[in-house]
Amino acid sequence: MPAIDLVDVSVDFPIYTAQTRSIRTDLMRRIGGRIEHNAHKHTTVVQALRHVSLSLRPGDRLGLIGPNGAGKSTLLRVMSGVYEPPGGVVRIEGKVSALVDITLGFDSELSGYDNIILRSVVLGATIAQARERAPDIAEFSELGEFLTLPIRTYSAGMITRLAFAISTAVQPDILLLDEMVSAGDVHFSKKARERTLAMAESASILVLAIHDTTTLRSFCDKAAVLRSGEIADIGPIDEVLTRYEASAAA
Amino acid sequence: MTDIRDERLAGQLGELGRAQLPQRPSYWTGFARDLAESFQRWQLWWLLGYNDVRQRYRRSRVGQLWITISMGIFIVAIGPVYALLFNTELKEFLPYLTVNIVVWGFISSMINDACTAFIQADGYIRQERLPKIGFLYRILVRNFLILGHNALLIPLVFMAFGKPVGSVALLAIPGLIIVTVNCLLMALFLATICARFRDFPQIVTNVVQVAFFLTPIFWQKKQILTDYHFVVDYNPFASLLSVVSSPILGKVPTMFEYGMCLVMTLVVGLVAVPFFARFRARIVYWL
Repeated sequence: MPAIDLVDVSVDFPIYTAQTRSIRTDLMRRIGGRIEHNAHKHTTVVQALRHVSLSLRPGDRLGLIGPNGAGKSTLLRVMSGVYEPPGGVVRIEGKVSALVDITLGFDSELSGYDNIILRSVVLGATIAQARERAPDIAEFSELGEFLTLPIRTYSAGMITRLAFAISTAVQPDILLLDEMVSAGDVHFSKKARERTLAMAESASILVLAIHDTTTLRSFCDKAAVLRSGEIADIGPIDEVLTRYEASAAA
Repeated sequence: MTDIRDERLAGQLGELGRAQLPQRPSYWTGFARDLAESFQRWQLWWLLGYNDVRQRYRRSRVGQLWITISMGIFIVAIGPVYALLFNTELKEFLPYLTVNIVVWGFISSMINDACTAFIQADGYIRQERLPKIGFLYRILVRNFLILGHNALLIPLVFMAFGKPVGSVALLAIPGLIIVTVNCLLMALFLATICARFRDFPQIVTNVVQVAFFLTPIFWQKKQILTDYHFVVDYNPFASLLSVVSSPILGKVPTMFEYGMCLVMTLVVGLVAVPFFARFRARIVYWL
């Protein structure tokens, strides 16, 4: 059964500049510290998530809202397994698909077709499975003959079309979306939106980080407000959004 | 029951029940999972490593053959110079140099590439949940392909000088396995520490450079004073080189050399594996 359990999850990023990242400064810091008898730590730490606990079960559709830098994307990456948090426990069950950077793994010198294979394998398919899926992906992307050309010859819209077609080829149990994927021209945007909707509907669990509250309402039935890495509010979407908008207006 | 709980931990624990709570996995669980998944996803590392090599020579007519050509030109250019300097016969020296330089090229480039294995893959590591050890297999694929291209020169040079290859050359295969395991273990350590300390790649480049001069690649052990033989004997790189190149040159590597390799494997393994296991989950935060 697909499930996401986060218990007391904290994520912090040590910020290493060129200064703090070198061994020299690490050595000097120790020496400096001894002379000054000063235990002051020089590394800057950004706390991206603080004591977040969540439990999602099949049927849950959660919208994440909050100002920029509140930790929405970090939370999504914890859920996708990219970040293993230094604090707390994470349990994720089911096939997760995160539509975050959909062009990751693309090689501009390779043909569209070769990129279908490469990107699908990055997403977890075997080469054989990728070949099997390729015709469907090619059809959805509507790129036709262009698929034999290196993708450096593509326009930005064409690349997004291809990336979207590949990344949405497999139905996940858990779908994580960071903003809606905007894909190409009017015609393809509509098609992409429909497919995203269908995927979101078939997904057992959906988590969506988005600023546009209209879209949020159409996808989600619950919402959580993140503020400086903490869940400030959580509950049924209408209640949460009413409170959120009230606080934003105030 | 499927409702999202309040973020308050107390409420959470109450609902889930303490017994049901998943335990925080140990470092070793994480390591074992990473290792298992990196085997499962071998096709990805193959594609990435293969593309690395192809990309370097893309849109060139000769393509990857440039690897072989460049190495060939280097050997033909530098070989006679050193043969003269050392006062050795070209037909002895050139096969010796070719085998050594090809094998050393593999070892040194594995070590140097290891330093950027995670740094270079930051896009993948930060966006997708992928086993980290796999990125070491990627550099292994890349360097095996380059080794394959360079190794073409060995039969060419041997034929040109009529140097025979005996059945002892088969010992180069277990030798290559020993070298590969050692390089992977070193890479595990280097890739991790280089992601954290960005001065480390520079340090490693310099150490490899020094090792190049201290290892009998151009010169031979017999050319130096016996007082200084320890430079070769206790140089682990010399032993690693020898277990692959000596058999091809018709010599059985000594037991001492195999012993050195074994000690090296154990020491590096005992440092690299726990080190990687401990910091594996932190790597993504360092990139």
